[in-house]
Amino acid sequence: MFPLSSQKKYWSFNDENDIAVLREETNAEFISKHGASMTEEKREKHFLSVGEERVLQRFYESQLKEFCKRFNPPMPKPTIATALHYFKRFYLRNSVMDYHPKEILVTCVYLACKVEEFNVSISQFVANIMGDREKASDIILNNELLLMQQLNYNLTIHNPFRPVEGLLIDIKTRYPAIENPEKLRPYIDEFLEKVFLTDSVLLYAPSQIALAATLHAASSVNANLDNYVTDILFSRDHLTAIVEAVRKIRSMAKCVEFPPRDLVKNLEKKLDKCRNQDNNPDSDIYKQRMQEMLDEEDLLDNEKYAKIVQNQADHDEKVLGVTNVLSPTDT
Amino acid sequence: MEEQACPRCKTTKYRNPSLKLMVNVCGHTLCESCVDLLFLKGSGSCPECQIALRRANFRVQLYEDAMVEKEVDIRKRILRDFNKREEDFETQSEYDNYLEEIENVIYNLTNNIDVIETNKKIEQYKKENKDQIIKNKSKLGKKENELEELLQLERLEQEERRLEFIKKELEIKRHKIREKEALIDELMFSEQDARNIIQLFASSIHASEDEIKFAPKPTTFSTGIKFGQQNNTCYLSVPKIDEGPIYHYIPITQEIEGPIPPVWGELKIQGYISHVRAASEGERAGGFGSNIACLRALQEAMAGLYHDSSKQLLEILTIT
Repeated sequence: MFPLSSQKKYWSFNDENDIAVLREETNAEFISKHGASMTEEKREKHFLSVGEERVLQRFYESQLKEFCKRFNPPMPKPTIATALHYFKRFYLRNSVMDYHPKEILVTCVYLACKVEEFNVSISQFVANIMGDREKASDIILNNELLLMQQLNYNLTIHNPFRPVEGLLIDIKTRYPAIENPEKLRPYIDEFLEKVFLTDSVLLYAPSQIALAATLHAASSVNANLDNYVTDILFSRDHLTAIVEAVRKIRSMAKCVEFPPRDLVKNLEKKLDKCRNQDNNPDSDIYKQRMQEMLDEEDLLDNEKYAKIVQNQADHDEKVLGVTNVLSPTDT
Repeated sequence: MEEQACPRCKTTKYRNPSLKLMVNVCGHTLCESCVDLLFLKGSGSCPECQIALRRANFRVQLYEDAMVEKEVDIRKRILRDFNKREEDFETQSEYDNYLEEIENVIYNLTNNIDVIETNKKIEQYKKENKDQIIKNKSKLGKKENELEELLQLERLEQEERRLEFIKKELEIKRHKIREKEALIDELMFSEQDARNIIQLFASSIHASEDEIKFAPKPTTFSTGIKFGQQNNTCYLSVPKIDEGPIYHYIPITQEIEGPIPPVWGELKIQGYISHVRAASEGERAGGFGSNIACLRALQEAMAGLYHDSSKQLLEILTIT
């Protein structure tokens, strides 16, 4: 459950400001590392700013959602939510310029499928991707371990879906004043979709998000749940904090807007120029490095083999007293 | 468990299921094919300790630990000479000391401690007790002979029983044929009702079947002990195991950080359970009741509602 989870321990931030600071640090670190020789102006021109990174992240979050919606076989909601969660967590400490969001996006979805027990094989998975499928599966499998490492292997995500069910059961049982709570469902789902595009999941508990969604849905159908919240669910002392949290989640969800298409296009062009070529599977550096790694492995294997053969020969010599065992045809 | 493997060719039981490990007096193992290869001439040295070994002394390894094999070997050899029995001593403690000494000798030889000294001791013992060793050996032989006789007797008995059984079976068969003939004769020549005759014969066959009893089952073991007598033998009392402090179960408490969710009993009384889908037969077979899902949803709905991230200290995560 959430109170003892790694999600609370490591990934629930105090407020939006903390998250912003973290993102700024990430951005600054990348620029200072890769733009050491550039002047201030040139840097600004060449690299993406924090704001621009955010725009791209938001854009790709919506892309991720679209990708999951079109996914065949149909993907359950918790899987999508988990994938989005991974994506957000990953870009807290990694720059968009370091790892292209397009690649991390599919890796997040692939990992989420595994963690949420939505069973698809890699070939089935890449069948949903347009373009070079072999390359796509290479990218996914190469990035999977990196992603897990960057998530600190905290792979369990507490999503608000089950808390929503629990709240509805509780409302039906303890607050019969509201008629047919089932009609809230479509509004709840709609609200949760928006929530996943905000940073709420990095700030609030899943049950709080569930409560916010339920209250939002109730106000959408003009049902009144206020008495349930104030009289049944909470005592006075906790009320103010939770009301504030709900208000914040709702206002964040309201502010969700999609970045304009042409802006994204411009930024993508800029990204292609300034991205870290070490991690670009199309770049020569990357290919060269991969090749080197393969060669190295071969080399190591050869060395090992030579050593084994030598040992064997020594051993035979000692035991049998012959330097070399010759086959009859040689003599 | 560690895989059995030949130390020379590294073949494991997994790679070659027919792998047979052999062991010689030095206690080092080799697989069968390595033995064939290294001891082509009938003798050679152990690849591990370089002791000269004869091929004929290789045996299949019975125990997983080769040291045990070595110990068994040595024990057999030592006990051939150290063959005194309890009757040969005047007091119990003398006999115990003697046994202790044997164990010491065996242990030393197995673990290569003071080998020369120990061998000297054995030689000395042999010299001193020459007569008694020979006497006891013959005694042992006598005892073995007795056992052999007993076994032979039993074998004979068994054979006898088998023959008797066959004879009886044959007799029964013959009896049946005779009876059948009698029945047909009766049917042919008698003036009685056919049905009556058949009934009469059927009941007589029944009666004769009951009479036939099979040979009595053996009631003694080959050692001459009667079945069922072992109950009287007294066993050693089971040694007491030193026990630690008794385990006390402390139920796990979940931190909730929110309003207290209902407990198991309340699900039904307060009617929560009526708002969830009933578990299907398959789910129930797997051990899942609808109350489990219901309680979990409620717990998760309540857990963390009081969560206030601004009050907690987030543990800083460093990813390398």
